[in-house]
Amino acid sequence: MAGLVLQQIQKRFGRFTAVEPTDLSFRDGELTALLGPSGCGKTTLLRMIAGLETQTSGRILLGDEDISDRSAHQRKFGMVFQSFALFPHLSVLGNVGYALKIAGVAKAARETKARELLDLVQLSAFTERRIGELSGGQRQRVAIARALAQEPSVFLLDEPMSALDAKLREEMQVELRLLQQRLGITTIVVTHDQREAMTMADQIVVMSAGRVEQIGPPQEIYNHPANAFVASFIGRANFLSGTVQAGRVEVAGGVLAPEPAANFRDGSPVTIAIRPEKIWVEADAPETNRLDARVTFVRDVGATRDIHVETPAGPMIIEYAIGENANTYRVGDEMQVHLPPGALHVFPASERIAA
Amino acid sequence: MTASAETGPVETPALSLPRPGPGVLKKTAYTALIVALCVVPFALVLVISMGEKIEGAGWQWALTLENYQRFFVGAEPEAPTYLYLQRLWYSFYYAIIAAILAVATAFPFTYLMTRQSRRIQTVWLVFLLSSVSLSEVFVVMGWDILLSNRSGLPMVFKETGLTAWLKDVGWFQTLRDWGLANPRNVRFKPTEFATVLTMSYLVWPYAVILLYPALARLDNATLEAARTMGAGPLTVVRTVVIPSVRLPLVGAVLLLFVFLLGAYVAITVFAHPSRHTLAVSVYEAVRGATLNAPFGAAQAVILLVTAALFLGAAALLARIGDRRAA
Repeated sequence: MAGLVLQQIQKRFGRFTAVEPTDLSFRDGELTALLGPSGCGKTTLLRMIAGLETQTSGRILLGDEDISDRSAHQRKFGMVFQSFALFPHLSVLGNVGYALKIAGVAKAARETKARELLDLVQLSAFTERRIGELSGGQRQRVAIARALAQEPSVFLLDEPMSALDAKLREEMQVELRLLQQRLGITTIVVTHDQREAMTMADQIVVMSAGRVEQIGPPQEIYNHPANAFVASFIGRANFLSGTVQAGRVEVAGGVLAPEPAANFRDGSPVTIAIRPEKIWVEADAPETNRLDARVTFVRDVGATRDIHVETPAGPMIIEYAIGENANTYRVGDEMQVHLPPGALHVFPASERIAA
Repeated sequence: MTASAETGPVETPALSLPRPGPGVLKKTAYTALIVALCVVPFALVLVISMGEKIEGAGWQWALTLENYQRFFVGAEPEAPTYLYLQRLWYSFYYAIIAAILAVATAFPFTYLMTRQSRRIQTVWLVFLLSSVSLSEVFVVMGWDILLSNRSGLPMVFKETGLTAWLKDVGWFQTLRDWGLANPRNVRFKPTEFATVLTMSYLVWPYAVILLYPALARLDNATLEAARTMGAGPLTVVRTVVIPSVRLPLVGAVLLLFVFLLGAYVAITVFAHPSRHTLAVSVYEAVRGATLNAPFGAAQAVILLVTAALFLGAAALLARIGDRRAA
């Protein structure tokens, strides 16, 4: 197996650009998630990697080999489709053995291999079933086993969890990640679900409008978003508008000092992003970086509590774990919130925020 | 059905006697319709088939099986002839070959058509549907001119030197062996080739329309999945497309086969009289030269029953095949 490299890969449909020229590399044995809202070009990018879509320009390298001009059936990257795309006329065993059958592998050998794979995805009791007799989760496992049967050098998954219900989705994310780590196969998953990407990926590629916004490990993307779009798309964030004055940001009702200091010219309009769970509401919070706040709404979401507050700089959501703070807040309560300097991310005001 | 149906809308049926519900009424109406449209005409034909011809006049009601006997062994059982069994054979022979030919050629066309944009598909479908409005007579006339020995393709063969070339390379003799040439030139009338060709042309648009829904519904992702597993375009068709639409394919062949059992004009124009079908012979008996309605009816009944047996056997085979594949 070898890493996969995209060089200046681009896709245009007529005058519409689906994917802007993009450079990406997928390291050997790692799982990369292509994450973004629908229509951001992530599926088109995946289809170009699979060979199902021809790139308008750019090169695709597998190891040292240029595979840009190879068709899908020559690349033979295993792919799991959003709809699973199983063959309804074949049994579970027939589906998993398909790639080996057309490669000319003898019946006994391919059935042994197919049974091994079905064992791996815990479906060994279902070999003779028709596809129509399987549940959504079982179908997904068959699709995964089928794509792995040919021992592909790259494993591609297009929104593999979107057809599953929430609980099963969480289970399958963990299971798929464990399977991928066990096999050590270079894997690319397309998803619009940031939780899914955070659960499974070694590396996340955040995309929007055909462009790559940020590449990095999940925690880095969450804690250090490169721009306002990433901050708003990955997890929740509060946004405040202000202007820079000597490295600090003046917002309505106060001055906030980010750390490191805001590297903008004085007077520049900026947007500050802060995660709800980073805001302090305790009385013993530091005296700096404070804003007056009035509680407008409180809700308990399982293990955490959301407090919606109105500040002079705009509305904010504060999240803390229940039990972490003894105070009970009621609608109408007046208080002060502290925004820790290290949790403030400052972006130019012109940057888009995800819808 | 009248009384209760006319009592009009929603009255409280509180104390009235139990009335037949709407379900029962619907069922009765359907049954009456089926009896009136299917059973009665068939029963009539069945009864007529047991009638007797009066020489030099019409026919009279009777209850004889002579017409059936004549069909299977001829008028004189002591010296049996199998003319009508032969015609039954030709009915099946032309119909099945033409139906298979039509579906086999319509399949790749329809598959490629469904891979095009919606717009192109619509244009093709409208064009094909409008060609369906051409009657059998019209289509056969066209092919008659196209294949006629003096003005059609044979003339083109001769005038362009193709005939001479065929003679030079020695392939002309092969055509003669196949009955597609006389000593001077190629000829298509009367031949089985022209008969089957015209018959399959006749039903070709139907074949496309019958295959279209199944092929259009085919999940594109399954074809792409096959490609990512190493299947080239032809392998995709062989291993995914055809197995997915196997039942519609068989269904289309059967439907067109039954339809073609009744082909008349194409047979009379293109087939040699010694190889005419039962449809032609039924017409001759009922309306044509021999004027023997009971015998015509008997032939029609046999054609119908044989076709039904054939379809039943095909359905059984399909079910067995399905169970084996499962």
